[in-house]
Amino acid sequence: MFLALREIRHEKLRYGLIIGMIVLVSYLVFILSGLAYGLAQQNTQAISSWRVDKIALNKDANDSLSQSVITKQDADKVKLTEHEAYLGQTGVVAKAKGQAKLSAQFLGIDRTQLIYRRLRVTAGHKPTKANQILVDDSFQDNGYRLGDKVTLNAADGQYRIVGFTHNAKLSVAPVIYGSLGTWRTLSHLTADFQASGIVSTQTNFKAKGLSTLSMNKFINKLPGYSAQNTTFSFMIGFLMVIAMVVIAVFLYILTMQKLPNYAVLRAQGIPAKVLVTTTVTQALLLVIAGLVIGAGLTLATVLTVPTGVPMSFNLPLLSAATGGILLTGVVGALIPVKVILNVDPVSVMGG
Amino acid sequence: MPALALQHVKKVFGHATNEVTVLNDINFEAASGEVSLVIGPSGSGKSTFLTIAGGIQTPTSGSVVVQGQALNALSGKDRDALRLNRIGFVLQAYNLVPYLTVRDQFTLVDRVKPADNLNESALRHLLEQLGIAALIDQYPAELSGGQTQRVAIARALYQNPDIVLADEPTAALDSARVKVVGQLLHDLAKTHNKAIVVVTHDLRLQEFADRTYAIMDGQMTLN
Repeated sequence: MFLALREIRHEKLRYGLIIGMIVLVSYLVFILSGLAYGLAQQNTQAISSWRVDKIALNKDANDSLSQSVITKQDADKVKLTEHEAYLGQTGVVAKAKGQAKLSAQFLGIDRTQLIYRRLRVTAGHKPTKANQILVDDSFQDNGYRLGDKVTLNAADGQYRIVGFTHNAKLSVAPVIYGSLGTWRTLSHLTADFQASGIVSTQTNFKAKGLSTLSMNKFINKLPGYSAQNTTFSFMIGFLMVIAMVVIAVFLYILTMQKLPNYAVLRAQGIPAKVLVTTTVTQALLLVIAGLVIGAGLTLATVLTVPTGVPMSFNLPLLSAATGGILLTGVVGALIPVKVILNVDPVSVMGG
Repeated sequence: MPALALQHVKKVFGHATNEVTVLNDINFEAASGEVSLVIGPSGSGKSTFLTIAGGIQTPTSGSVVVQGQALNALSGKDRDALRLNRIGFVLQAYNLVPYLTVRDQFTLVDRVKPADNLNESALRHLLEQLGIAALIDQYPAELSGGQTQRVAIARALYQNPDIVLADEPTAALDSARVKVVGQLLHDLAKTHNKAIVVVTHDLRLQEFADRTYAIMDGQMTLN
């Protein structure tokens, strides 16, 4: 630690540049992870808030809620308990007087069933009438207020916003919760149709005549969800690998440049273990400093980006990224260990 | 028993047609309480002799015995420990770490060898003797060649070694400083019973030596 700190203190520019590079790499990894996780969250926030394990859809819907319609006849074959709920979904464009149009996902729910019970209201109250809706609070960010009357698509009738709920997004669009009746109206369906799907909190739930799948499978089948996550995963993965190579190369070059000093120390009888420990400690100090500053920059970015930017952080994901970068530093420092162990003190002796 | 003895030491570099014999059948002894001078021109094998004597290089044949211990019987780790605890090197290329101040050069020794180093007052006295007490917070790059050489000498002596091996310790010094360094090495040998071995081509050091060896074309003779 003594040699490591003294050298960093003396070679401020050189080590500052290396820390700067690690800051940029960690900042990029953190921000990309945040965006990836944020975007993934915006696909599934609403689903997560219901805390359900299974969903039953029409067999021909290809596991897609938006393509699924369950007839009353099929729905009647499924005996619903307090653990199940009907769900009707359709895409809508919301418009209120004086406000910008907003594309949203309308979710029709039953006021007696679990999704309704589990809704968390941040302002106002849950809908109690057919013409009332509860909307994601991003509507608020776009100027919508409690009491605003909203038209949905070109359908007749207006719906009053009676409450806001936090983090209610599905397929990156804000959610509007209303009644199943409104869903039928917006979907141009008759009373012969009950819902788009049935969700259940029971892991062994199975709906006769319908396709029942786990929520994980359902989420992975959300349009674009897997492709988007895979893209981000590859980006972060490649970034980590490239960062690892770059950091390792920098630390390797740094160590090679120090070999004459190490040769002097070896000539003095300083044990090779001290030099290896110094090298690894120094790499860890540099990487930790870079990570801390990178995390600080990320925090500053999170506080300043517009609320519309889908950025969200997940502790295990951040820990994995941090651990990966830290590991990179140690590996980079360990690569030249053999060279350090074999450094020839004679190389610094005169002839 | 001599503090340091080289017996029939031979050092060959290269192979076949490129083979060069740098040291040939060297027999050398350095006793505690004496200054031994090895004088020879550039390329005569002085530094090779010194690195073999200090266990930094191994001889092609022959043996090196330090305080009764044959170096070829020691592991690399033990040879490191021997260098750290018993042998002080003053290298021709100066044995200073560029990013440590003069003070930190000594602190580093304390870190890896916490016992048996010079105490605070002995260090201060040594630095004053060498005329470098005021340079304690300077980095090597801020020192002149002569100052660096004197700090390197102090650095080697700080670990209070039984044997001091010095490679051209006065190369960058003026005559007055040569006298100071020569007297210092002589006093160290006499008052602290150390074995001092100096390889040099600086004949000004001869007056401080108890024995003078000449080295030429890999052969050593006692003058």
